[in-house]
Amino acid sequence: MNKILAIISILLLAGCSIGGEKKIKIFSVEEPRAKLNIEKPTPLQMEEIYWHIITSENADEVFKKLEDAGIDPVLFGLTDKDFEILAKNFAQIRNKLQESNAILEKYKEYYEKTEKEE
Amino acid sequence: MFGQIKLLFSVLLIAGIAGAGMYVMKLRSDNAILKANQVQLEQSIESQKKVLEQQKQDFEDIMESNKQLNKLINALKKDLDDLDKRFNKGKRDVGKLAIERSKVIEKIINKGGKNATRCIEIASGSPLTEKEIKATKKSEINPECPSIANPNYVPYE
Repeated sequence: MNKILAIISILLLAGCSIGGEKKIKIFSVEEPRAKLNIEKPTPLQMEEIYWHIITSENADEVFKKLEDAGIDPVLFGLTDKDFEILAKNFAQIRNKLQESNAILEKYKEYYEKTEKEE
Repeated sequence: MFGQIKLLFSVLLIAGIAGAGMYVMKLRSDNAILKANQVQLEQSIESQKKVLEQQKQDFEDIMESNKQLNKLINALKKDLDDLDKRFNKGKRDVGKLAIERSKVIEKIINKGGKNATRCIEIASGSPLTEKEIKATKKSEINPECPSIANPNYVPYE
């Protein structure tokens, strides 16, 4: 009788742990990184400028024309050499802009193509 | 005595049969594990193959992108060299020419400025016009930046 009581007591005491604690399942789901999707910058719309050629001979004529057209008779000058430098600087900036845009385009092409394949 | 020997043999026989049975079961279990391993290895090889193929494809894409970028950089450099030539070809002195033929040079400079402005617009992402795309002759192109403004133009002398 005592043995039966002892067994019942043990079972009652251990009852809560029968089957053990529920195991926590940890799993990971790969969440793709959000796309940057920055819109392409709006292309520049440049305004036209007019270059005046002034020599010692035509200076009066040029200034008179400006006055007649209601423009202040003042010009911001460049020598022929400086004009050449300005043109080349302009071309270098343009090339750099084109190069940077092309690199960005290639990066986009490469990574978006890879994502599509995946 | 005979009875005991018989019992011993019987026990040995039963033990032998049980052992053989267990051995067969173990072999079957091993076989199942080996089959599972084989499947896993094959899957692993397959995925490795895919990774290698992807790496090869990526490498080719990178090489192609670099090639195209180098081509573009060389074309842009050529545009810059051409601009330099326009100012300094032979013994050309733009200043002297401007003194002698002010009106003509003023026209040329303004046309060049307009073309250069358009080049900046294109470089910043402005789409090419139909006329720019179709241009194939020297008289039709934008001489400031034919490499980006006129994709169908092939330079000729």
